[in-house]
Amino acid sequence: MPNYEIMFIVNPNAAEDEVDKINAQIESVVTAGGGQIQKIEKMGKRRLAYEIRRFREGHYVLFAITANGNIVKECERRLRVIETVIKYLSVRIDDEVRRFEKIRSYRQKRAARRATGRGAAPSGPSVEEAMQ
Amino acid sequence: MRSPREKRPAGQKQYYRRKKVCKFCVERIDSINYKDVKLLAQFVPERAKIMPRRISGVCSQHQRQLSDAIKKARNIALLPFATE
Repeated sequence: MPNYEIMFIVNPNAAEDEVDKINAQIESVVTAGGGQIQKIEKMGKRRLAYEIRRFREGHYVLFAITANGNIVKECERRLRVIETVIKYLSVRIDDEVRRFEKIRSYRQKRAARRATGRGAAPSGPSVEEAMQ
Repeated sequence: MRSPREKRPAGQKQYYRRKKVCKFCVERIDSINYKDVKLLAQFVPERAKIMPRRISGVCSQHQRQLSDAIKKARNIALLPFATE
């Protein structure tokens, strides 16, 4: 199943337990659909870069989940319905993770090669080429 | 503009432009994440536009990742679309 990140902003006037309630709701949607929660991060109250529904700040919450697309769709629908949520964003992060892994493994291989044949190994292609 | 190596007519001052390098390649920053506001903000000047490659010197691969990340960050109000 693919990995997603869902970030949403809750009304700044909402109490802490209201945020928790929304979190619990999203959590139940994900687990009921057969997905897994990797991480729930409350990023706290932050200033918004621009005004959303006349609010200048909001509670940020980040979910990292492993779930199918239809679960994410359901989460989005829920977030749209909940009135205290003023904005949300869901991102699929697989591509980025894969790219990150690729670069790291390449770098490790190169380091290993350098350690064995001191200077004998020719300088391989640059990191930018490995990213292609 | 002329390249600095080109011959100039007499009287014009010769100067060397420092070679720009991609920050992400040099510092080995692998993942350009939309949550990393501190990093992204370096490439969003006052007017809140994305800084062009010709000014920042970022390589094309990283510029692509960077602009993607900035656009995501804008969506969730971590970065502004425009200054008010």
